[in-house]
Amino acid sequence: MKKLLYVASNELLLLLKDKMAAVWMIILPLMLTTIMGLAFGGLGGGSEPVVVDLPVVDRDGGEMAATVLDILAQTQGTYLHLETEYDEEAARQLVTDGKRAGALIIPADFTADVTSGNPTALELLVTPGGQTAPLLEGMVRGVTSGFSSVQTTVEVVISEVRRATGSHDLDYEGIAARVVATAQERLENPSVSTRITTVGSAEEEFNTFDQIVPGYAVMCAMFAVLSGAGAILEEKERGTFKRLLIAPVPKYALLGGKLLAQFIIGVAQIVLMFAFGALVFHVSLGGSILGLVLVTLATCWATTALGMLLVAVIKSRKQIHPITTLIILGSSAIGGSWFPLFLMPKWVQQAARVTLVAWAMEGYNRLMLFGAGLNDVWLDIGVLLLYGAVCFGVGLRLFRFKEA
Amino acid sequence: MTLVEVNNLSKTYGDTRAVDGISFEIQRGEIFGLLGPNGAGKSTTINMLCAYTEPTGGQIRIDDIDVVAEPERVKPLIGVVPQDIALYPDLNAVENLRFFGRLYDIPADRLPRRIEELLRLVGLYEKRKGRVGHYSGGMKRRLNLAVGLLNEPRFLLLDEPTVGVDPQSRNKIFEFIQALNAQGLTILYTTHYMEEAELLCHRVGIMDEGHIIALDAPQHLINTLGTGIIHIGVRDGDEGLAAQLRALPQVRAVTYRDGTLIVETVDAQRALLDIIGLFNETDMPMTALEILEPNLESVFIQLTGRQLRD
Repeated sequence: MKKLLYVASNELLLLLKDKMAAVWMIILPLMLTTIMGLAFGGLGGGSEPVVVDLPVVDRDGGEMAATVLDILAQTQGTYLHLETEYDEEAARQLVTDGKRAGALIIPADFTADVTSGNPTALELLVTPGGQTAPLLEGMVRGVTSGFSSVQTTVEVVISEVRRATGSHDLDYEGIAARVVATAQERLENPSVSTRITTVGSAEEEFNTFDQIVPGYAVMCAMFAVLSGAGAILEEKERGTFKRLLIAPVPKYALLGGKLLAQFIIGVAQIVLMFAFGALVFHVSLGGSILGLVLVTLATCWATTALGMLLVAVIKSRKQIHPITTLIILGSSAIGGSWFPLFLMPKWVQQAARVTLVAWAMEGYNRLMLFGAGLNDVWLDIGVLLLYGAVCFGVGLRLFRFKEA
Repeated sequence: MTLVEVNNLSKTYGDTRAVDGISFEIQRGEIFGLLGPNGAGKSTTINMLCAYTEPTGGQIRIDDIDVVAEPERVKPLIGVVPQDIALYPDLNAVENLRFFGRLYDIPADRLPRRIEELLRLVGLYEKRKGRVGHYSGGMKRRLNLAVGLLNEPRFLLLDEPTVGVDPQSRNKIFEFIQALNAQGLTILYTTHYMEEAELLCHRVGIMDEGHIIALDAPQHLINTLGTGIIHIGVRDGDEGLAAQLRALPQVRAVTYRDGTLIVETVDAQRALLDIIGLFNETDMPMTALEILEPNLESVFIQLTGRQLRD
């Protein structure tokens, strides 16, 4: 055990001596996080339309409900993919689980209430702090206010004209005045309103950095850990690995020391970025610090084990750098490091499940965005631990201490 | 007193026999050289002696311990200086030595003193805080040697320790090795520089294609050649001509190989006059003529027909 710690401490010393490591592990990640966080400060601010899955429970089924759906579907800048296959319970569960940013419930008798001018409300279930929730609220409020100010006003006009056509003595000025007065009254006191129902317990306001910081922390930790794994190949090429094998050091201590150092480096990278995010950008660390710690440890374990597997199957330092870069950037892109997973098409969300990033980000998002507790992230922690165990087992089996 | 016993040692990689049934012993306090060209099997032999590579067959005993059966008992007794500069270039000399010293279980209160002793021995004490990556090739070689000495080994294995080293650093390394040997350290030294083997080694095993083809003290090996070898280029190996050459008084033996008559002489200078006379008399054309200084290189050429540094 003592020798394992000597090997690990030497690895950390080598990292401290590497001047470029400060750039790669501190300056670049913090700079990148800051720039990306500021750039994505508002969703939909970019030129590309944002695609959001929105479960809709239509308990009315009437003409006005259909009109609501048409208007939502045609919203500019953001493409709402309306999902009508869920019942209210399922839709509520999706939002609670953080799988959807919101769900819309159109109440029974919506069409009848709108046409008769009776007060009614579209119910929008959202997650507190969910980053697309404000967007959805705005869109649904736009629809409902449109109904209130235009639809009902038109109804009034039509009824006035119908009534007027029965009379030869038309009071146009009076009709116009009543139309305007009605429209104004409806605008101030809309008959159709939006009722926002939050699902979950977090109360803090959404901060873009709540998504950006864990996303980039996971990505940068992967870079730090996997480049550390590449250092094993460098040592093999340099001859120091052989010298260590010749020394009276058990193999488990040699490999274990190197992996322990990579694990510590990964944890340090994530802690640094979370600390930076919390201090500078007031990132919410969620309601369960223990959950956050366990997700971080499980993520770093899985990443370290992935590094072990890569070192076992890749034979040279020249090969490992492009391959790890491809894996990290690919899994970060589809796994939710750059954008929330729930904004991705379904097939991407499914494909992302093979990456450790997706499970790590789901855990972080649940804790930091949706206010979930430790009990809500056990699955993510478990999958990450299992992922690491499989990678470690296969890697250890394939790893060759000595070259032929 | 024998420290190292190697018996019928072999190592096979696929169809290649890198080491093919070699046997030798190294006495305590001896510098034993393994001389041979690249690929002769020297490094593979060292790898097996230091328990890095498991032999395909044969036995190795160091200080009466079976290396294959009990590698962990042998490792603390030996020091290895690999052919590669196996150091951490981002660390300084002290940090490199401290790390390896800890792995060799050198007590914490003893380690700083041992590091200082070694740095003074290899002449790097003044440069101890500089990054090893900034050292010259010779300085790195000296530090590489110091790491191998950290655990005060009974048996030091040096695998081509002077490759890529300037003459000044090479001489310093020779001085260290001789000084260490004078203190009683047993050393195995591999090289493909015959001058080094002649200068340093008490006995030399000449290796080629996995075999030890000659083993003796350098001077004894050289003496087998007489005072010199003459290479004569000829168009064909006429057995009659070879017989006439053998009959000359200063000639000990004649062999023909690849268009060259190899003539071992008692006295090369006198033999040369007789040989030229014979060629003139028989009107045989001579396409090349070379007198080889008697040394280990010419022993190797004599034994294999090839040069050490092919």
